[in-house]
Amino acid sequence: MSDPVLVVIFLRGGADALNIVSPTGDADYIAARPEHLRVLRKGDGQGMALGDGLADVDFRLHTAAQDLGQLFQAGDLSILHATGLKEATRSHFDAEARIERSATNGAAGGWLGRWLNQAQPGGPLPALAVGTGLPESLRGSRAAVAPEFSELMLAPGNWLAPALRARLQTGFGTHDKLGATTAEILALSQMLQDRYWQADTSEMRAYAPDVDYPQDSDLSGPLMTVAQSIKADLGLRIATVDYGGWDTHAQQNDQFTPLLSGLSRSLMAFWRDLGPRQQDVSVIVQSEFGRRLRSNDSGGTDHGRAGAMMVLGPQAKGGRLLGRWPGLTNSALEEGADLAVTTDYRDVLAEVLVSHMGLTDPGIVFPGLAPQPLGLFG
Amino acid sequence: MLNRRDFLISALLATALRPLPALANAPAPDPSEVFLNRLTFGANPASRADLARLGMQGWLDDQLSRPASDPDLDARLAAFRLNISYEAEDDGNGFAWDGLDEMRGLTSLNADPASLLPLLDWENPISYIERARPGDEVIAASLTRAVHAPAQLREVMTQFWHDHFNVHAQKDEFVAVFFPSYDAMLRDNALGNFRTMLGAVARSPSMLIYLNNAESTASPANENFARELLELHTLGAGNYLNDIYDRWSEVPGAQDGLATGYIDQDVYEVARAFTGWSVGDGRYIAEGQEAPRTGLFAYIEGWHDPYQKRVMGRQMDPNRAPMADGEEVMDMLSKHPGTARFVCTKLARRLVADEPDAGLLDRLTAQFLDTADAPDQIAGLIRTIVADPSFAAPPSKIRRPFEFLAALYRASGVKVMAPYKDFHWQLERAGWKQHTFPPPTGHSDVTEDWNTGSLVLRYVDYALSAHDGWFGCTTSLLSGTLPDTTQTLGKLMRFWAGRLHGTETDLTPEFFEATGLSPDEPLPQNEQERHDYSAIAIAFAALTPQFLFR
Repeated sequence: MSDPVLVVIFLRGGADALNIVSPTGDADYIAARPEHLRVLRKGDGQGMALGDGLADVDFRLHTAAQDLGQLFQAGDLSILHATGLKEATRSHFDAEARIERSATNGAAGGWLGRWLNQAQPGGPLPALAVGTGLPESLRGSRAAVAPEFSELMLAPGNWLAPALRARLQTGFGTHDKLGATTAEILALSQMLQDRYWQADTSEMRAYAPDVDYPQDSDLSGPLMTVAQSIKADLGLRIATVDYGGWDTHAQQNDQFTPLLSGLSRSLMAFWRDLGPRQQDVSVIVQSEFGRRLRSNDSGGTDHGRAGAMMVLGPQAKGGRLLGRWPGLTNSALEEGADLAVTTDYRDVLAEVLVSHMGLTDPGIVFPGLAPQPLGLFG
Repeated sequence: MLNRRDFLISALLATALRPLPALANAPAPDPSEVFLNRLTFGANPASRADLARLGMQGWLDDQLSRPASDPDLDARLAAFRLNISYEAEDDGNGFAWDGLDEMRGLTSLNADPASLLPLLDWENPISYIERARPGDEVIAASLTRAVHAPAQLREVMTQFWHDHFNVHAQKDEFVAVFFPSYDAMLRDNALGNFRTMLGAVARSPSMLIYLNNAESTASPANENFARELLELHTLGAGNYLNDIYDRWSEVPGAQDGLATGYIDQDVYEVARAFTGWSVGDGRYIAEGQEAPRTGLFAYIEGWHDPYQKRVMGRQMDPNRAPMADGEEVMDMLSKHPGTARFVCTKLARRLVADEPDAGLLDRLTAQFLDTADAPDQIAGLIRTIVADPSFAAPPSKIRRPFEFLAALYRASGVKVMAPYKDFHWQLERAGWKQHTFPPPTGHSDVTEDWNTGSLVLRYVDYALSAHDGWFGCTTSLLSGTLPDTTQTLGKLMRFWAGRLHGTETDLTPEFFEATGLSPDEPLPQNEQERHDYSAIAIAFAALTPQFLFR
C-alpha cells in the first residue's frame, strides 16, 4: 500500500441533502415539500432504501444517485446525516470559509493546508486543487492548481521556454509572494513535461482511464485528473475538487437532478478507474449547508442548516448511515426551519485524517476540537 | 519515492541557477508608475504624458471629472464587430431558424431595453445564442474599454463595482438581455453616490433575476437577494452575527432602533420588504394580468407582503406606499457604520493594498457617513485614499488575470478588439470569469487567492501569445510603434522594458544566453520579424515582479 490519499469533493452552493438522503415516510417532510422536491417510497420517484441504520426512519437515496447506492451496498460508502457547522450561519461564503478554514481560534490557513504543513509530504505533487482557483481549505500551502496536467506545463514546445524559465528564476528568486511558488512550479512543470510531452506531435500524452467516465457530467474531467495524478505516482496526498451549482433557489430540479446524477456516476467511474489504488484513497463529499425543509414559491429551496456528508473508502467501514437524526418536527428544527446540526463536520474530517491519513494530533489541524469519532473506521 | 527536497534541488539545478543580478539591481519603484498602476488598468505612454503635464492632483481632478461616455471610445465600440454563429434548427413545429456565422456590431450596448424584449419571447423562434447576445457584447467590449477608455479611473471603478455587485451575465437569457443596461448603470454611478447606486442595483433587471428577487412573492419570500444585499452589498459578512445572537432583540442597538449587525431574522424581514420588486418583461402576474413590457424595473403590488416589518430593530408600518419598505431598508443600510466600513475597506483594498492602513480606514468610514448624501461621495473617498501616505507604498498586489492582460495591451499600445472574445475563455483558464463569475461574491481581491504557480504559467502563456493573431485580441503590428533609434536587438529589448516598466532596464540576458543571439544583432527590416521580436521583448518584461505587481 502506498501513502494514503485524501480527495475532498465540495458541493458548492448548499446541496439539498433532504432530497439526496431522505426520510421518505416522515409526515413533516411530506407536508413541507411538493413531490418533485422529495424522494418517494413508491412510483417513478421511488428511492433506494438504505436499511434501518438510523432512528428507524425509512431513509432512501434519490433515484439519480443509483451508483452511490451501489457503493453504499458494497460497503465502501458511509453517509453521515445532519452534519454541518455548529455555528448557525446560512451564508454561503461565511459557511464555506468557516468549514474550509476550520480555525475557531484564528489559526492560519485552511484545514488541508495545516495538514500539509505538519505532514510535510515528499514528492513533486503533494497537493492538487483541481480547477482554476485555490480553495480556502488549501490556504497556507502551495498546492498546485490546474484542471488537468496540460495546464501545469510551461509553454511546452515553445523555443523560448528555457529562456523564460531562467527569466522567472532570476526575476522571482526570493520574491516574498511568488519566489518559492515559482521555483516549485518550474520544477513540477519540467518533470511533467519530460514525462508526458510528445515533441513529435506537439501534444501531451492523453490520460487513458481504465473505465469510461460519463461525458455529461462536469465532475468527470476533474476526477479523471485526480485518478491520473494518483496513478502517476507523483506523491499526491491531497486533492480537492469543486463541484458547483447546488444553490437551487428556483426551479430546483432543472439543476439538482443532473448534478446529483453527475456526482453519482462520475464518482463511481472514478472509483472503478482507481482499481487496486482504491486501497489508498478516501473521498469526502461535503457542502456548506443543506437547504430549508420547506420549499419556497419558486419551486426551489432557500439556504438551510444541516446537510449530509459522505465518506468513500475501503478502509472505512461503509454501508452505514451514521450520525444522529434529530427529526423534522417543529420543535426539533433549528430556528423552527431547518434540519438541526447534530454532528460537527470537523469530527468527520478529523476522523478521516487520523484513521486514514495518519494524523496523530488532531489539535494541530483542528485547534480547540475535542474529537468525537463517529466510528467511520471500525 | 523521490524526496521532495531532493526533487526540487535537482530540478532547480537542471534549470541552471545563476546569481540574481536583476533582483539585486531592482530599482526603487517610481512613484508615478505606482500612482498610475493603482488608478488605471496600467501605465502607458499617454497616461505617463498626462501625469507629467498635469501633476498628480491635476491628473486626479481630470479623471474624476470625465463622463461615462467618451467620443473616442464610443467610436471604437461602434466599429467593433463581434462574431455570432449557430447551427440551423427545425423541430418541425415552427421552432426553426437558419444557421448563421457573421460579424455583427455591438447593437445592444446602447439599445432601449424594451427593444430587446423580443429576445425573451418564446414564441419567437430564435437561437439561444441570439437571446444571450447582449451579455456577450458587454463581455467583448470590456477589454476594449479597459485598454482604451480615456476615463481610466472610472473604468477601474466600474470593474470594482461589477465585482462588488456581481452578476453572472450568462446565468440565463434574462440576465443576459438586461446586462448592457446593468453595465451602463454601474459605469454611470461608479464615482457617484453609494445610496443612489445601491437603489439602481436593486432595481436592475439583471440583478433582480440573478438573485431571484424578480420572482419573490409574499410568504415565503425568496431570500436570495435579501441575504446578499446585507452580506455582500452593504454590511458585509463581518456584521452577520447569527452565530452569536438568536433573536433580533439581542443584537446590540436593536432595541434602540439600529442594530450593529444582522441575523437571519433580519434577512427574512428584508426579503419581505423586497417582495414585488420585479422586472417589466411582460411576465405573468395573475390570471389576465401581466407585468408591463418596459425592459425596466417593475413593482408588482400584488406580490408584495404589505404587513409590518422589523429590520435590525427598525419598525415599519403595514400597508405603506409602493416600494417604501425596500427604500427604507436601503436608506438604513447605506448610512450604517457597518456598511461604511465594509465598502471603504474593499475600496482601499482595490486601490492600495490587501490590508489597508487602519487609520485610513477610520477616516474613510467617517467620511463615507458624513458625505452619505453627496453626489460625489465615492470620488471624495478616492481622493482621500490617494492623498493618504499609504497610497505611495511599494506595489504589493498581484495583477489579476484581466488586469494583467489589459495592462499588457496598454503598455504595448496595440489596438484591442476581440471579434470572437477569445480572451474570455483564455482568462477562465486562470480563474478569471469576466462578468460570468457564478457566485455573487465576485472575484477575490486578495493576492493570496491568486499567487499560485498555475497563475505564473498562465501569465507565461498570455505574455507569449497576446500579440499573436490567433489569440484574437489584436491584429496590430508592434513594429509600427518602434522609434528609429531602436536598431539592435538589445535596444529593442530595452525599449519594450521601458514601455512596460516606465524605466528602460536590461531584463534579457537569459534571452540572449538561451538563444545564442547577440544584443548587438541588427534588427531585421521585415515588419513581421520586428513584430515577433517585440512580442518576445514584451513577454520578458511582463514576467517580472515589476509588472506582475501593482
